[in-house]
Amino acid sequence: MPSEHAALLKDSVTDFVTRGTDMARVRALRGDPQEYDRAVWRQMGELGWLGIAIPETYGGMGLGLTETAIVAEGLARALVPEPFTACAVLAAGALAASENEALKGDLLPAIASGSRVAALAWQEQAGALDAAHIALRATPFEGGYRLTGTKRYVTGAAGADVYLVAARSDAGLVLACLDRGASGISVDLEPLADGRHFGTITFEDAVVPRERVAASGSAALGALSRALDHATAIASAELYGVMSRALEMSVDYMKTRVQFGRPIGSFQALQHRAVDLYIQQQLAAAVLSEGLRELDEKPAPQKRAAIASRLKARCSDAGVRIGREAIQIHGAIGFTDEYDAGLYLKRALVLAAWLGNATQHRRRYAALALQAES
Amino acid sequence: MAAVPAIDYNAMRDEDFRHQVRSFFETNYPEQLRFLPRRVRMSEISGWWNTLYEKGWIAPNWPHEWGGMGLEAGKMVIFLEEMERHGIARPADQGITQVGPIIMKYGTQAQKDHYLPRTRSGEIIWCQGYSEPNAGSDLANLQTSAVIEGDVFIVNGQKIWTTLAHDSTHIYLLVRTDKEAKKQKGISFLLVDLQTSGITIRPIRNIAGHEEFCEVFFDDVRVPRDVLVGKMNEGWTVAKALLGFERLNIGSPRRPQYALMRLEMLARAKGLFADTGFLDRFIAIKLDLEDLAALYGRYVEQVKRGEPLGQDVSSLKIWAMEAWQRLTELLVEAGAEDGVIEGAHDIAGVEIDFLSPFYYARPATIYGGSSEIQRNILSKYVLELPS
Ligand SMILES: Cc1cc2nc3c(=O)[nH]c(=O)nc-3n(C[C@H](O)[C@H](O)[C@H](O)COP(=O)(O)OP(=O)(O)OC[C@H]3O[C@@H](n4cnc5c(N)ncnc54)[C@H](O)[C@@H]3O)c2cc1C
Repeated sequence: MPSEHAALLKDSVTDFVTRGTDMARVRALRGDPQEYDRAVWRQMGELGWLGIAIPETYGGMGLGLTETAIVAEGLARALVPEPFTACAVLAAGALAASENEALKGDLLPAIASGSRVAALAWQEQAGALDAAHIALRATPFEGGYRLTGTKRYVTGAAGADVYLVAARSDAGLVLACLDRGASGISVDLEPLADGRHFGTITFEDAVVPRERVAASGSAALGALSRALDHATAIASAELYGVMSRALEMSVDYMKTRVQFGRPIGSFQALQHRAVDLYIQQQLAAAVLSEGLRELDEKPAPQKRAAIASRLKARCSDAGVRIGREAIQIHGAIGFTDEYDAGLYLKRALVLAAWLGNATQHRRRYAALALQAES
Repeated sequence: MAAVPAIDYNAMRDEDFRHQVRSFFETNYPEQLRFLPRRVRMSEISGWWNTLYEKGWIAPNWPHEWGGMGLEAGKMVIFLEEMERHGIARPADQGITQVGPIIMKYGTQAQKDHYLPRTRSGEIIWCQGYSEPNAGSDLANLQTSAVIEGDVFIVNGQKIWTTLAHDSTHIYLLVRTDKEAKKQKGISFLLVDLQTSGITIRPIRNIAGHEEFCEVFFDDVRVPRDVLVGKMNEGWTVAKALLGFERLNIGSPRRPQYALMRLEMLARAKGLFADTGFLDRFIAIKLDLEDLAALYGRYVEQVKRGEPLGQDVSSLKIWAMEAWQRLTELLVEAGAEDGVIEGAHDIAGVEIDFLSPFYYARPATIYGGSSEIQRNILSKYVLELPS
């Protein structure tokens, strides 16, 4: 019963964010190259969240995106910096959809428990939405592949123990697993607006033994595309969490901040502004619940991509807009680092850019719709 | 009285004046301080201040009598245009743009003689102490008080959002001197030395990570009575006297230049102009800014004709600031994933900082009268809509 799970999950996320994290922790982790707290991560593992999308046979909960989104939204509302979506949805999702059973049996339970953290290194160019641009070389040899090339914009790169890397060989795409410390790998961190990092990972003849190849050819492409669409949808749920809290803060502030002898929320200019933001948030809520439900029905890849794009387009625009306007509504205090509104804007900016922004996703949506017509 | 031999710049042909100003800026302004997407700190800019001071150009708007360039409106606009064209940072220049002219208009001879030369030389740096925690848009609600006791004022209260207070030596204050009077009526204008005991300054970090504004606390601060400018309880009139020209300046169409240049360079480097969707959005914003320049030009003509600026000049501020914000939003978006990485980085051979202009433009619709307040002004005084 998904609704039963949903209610339980909602409760446990609410409980976690009130007791397991707070803004002081979020602020302390800004700029920290690790980005997260292993203890908190393990707790998230104990709660089952890190395995939420991993099949039960591999130690996960095997739940759908609707349930996964509840966790993501709840964590994002509290600006939890731990890379939940990047690890539990993107990396774990790609691995779970792969074909190497032995590797899955080894890694997935460890990811689900929180004892190993995985990151998916797939992207090479800014603005890329799919595997088409991937050029990192996988050169075959007797025992496996050697990888050479650079991956960019890897979320959760800093604290990961293992990288799942999408590379190209003459025979097509390869999804390969490498340990963080393996030779031939170097990681550079780029600081993001929200205090987290994108990793730039360079591979120089990094060796992947055959048994560490998760999938290749069309299976690899299929697993990667599916994981990207799912993570795009879950990042949209994160944006929803961020925008909801930012809007709440703004509306609360409008009720308490007094200027000209009355709450600023009594000025119609601000009332209408808040209502417009509310409409954006409601649209985001509606498109998310519809889209996540459709995704849980396992549509064909083209349909799946179109739904993911639709969610990301709405939630990115709404999230960034609400973040920006939250500052305007607060006045000067909203522009300070001490006040939380700016943190919400910054997280919204990063989530909006990650895995493709609104414009890019509208384009993809249009292209898919035109393809579907012809 | 004049500290520098008075040159009659107003008699020069506009092109000659522009040329002279431009080449001086190009030769003398430090390259690393061009187009800073943040407020410059005094420690970085004091050399430039001295250069301008020695040239006799630190106070373009001041009359010769007080060591200024004595520029009339037309030349003044050229001077400002050239500053912005070259990306010259605004130091803590409120002494030049605000307090100086206020003292000239309302100050006593002794105040003029004391403050004006020191303000020009940079010995005195001013910050603006108007806003308070409960007096932002509703400035007239300010509560910081000054009470006369013998030959001193005793000041108590708190100012906030005071830009560059920590780089300043003095603060010009609006304080309440009559608690009984209605709002605007009981306010006075004081000049206070920040070294006076009882004053505490706490910098506040902004979302860009810079400490540019501050809180300033006054705890039984005793200042001589001769720091009062204008009459007792008439500080509101004193402070408001300048808002017209400041509002014109704030609508300058060149402020968004850095972001526009970077966006254009990025678009070329990444081939974005081949994308009609992007091109359309880019051109829309570019025209927003060019049309802003046209609107600005109309107000400049008005100032040149010696006509006072009306309330309609609020349109200029709204459009300038909001167009600037839209531009910085498009810049971040065009950067895609790179757009949310902090600091300057290299994109296809172009050095770009995406986030700083975005952060810098955020409060532009808040300070200097928020966009909402400006719209209220337009609807009330220009459209004359019923309230
Ligand atoms: C970067 C920066 C630098 C500054 N530097 C200085 C300085 O050097 N010296 C100084 O004295 N001050 C300075 N200020 C303060 C600035 O003047 C105030 O921020 C401004 O007056 C707004 O006040 P507030 O921030 O308290 O917002 P509030 O007045 O509380 O406004 C909050 C929101 O309510 C809206 N609002 C308020 N009243 C109305 C209304 N009647 N109708 C509709 N909407 C309304 C506002 O537009 C805003 O969106 C600075 C501010 C910033 C952001």
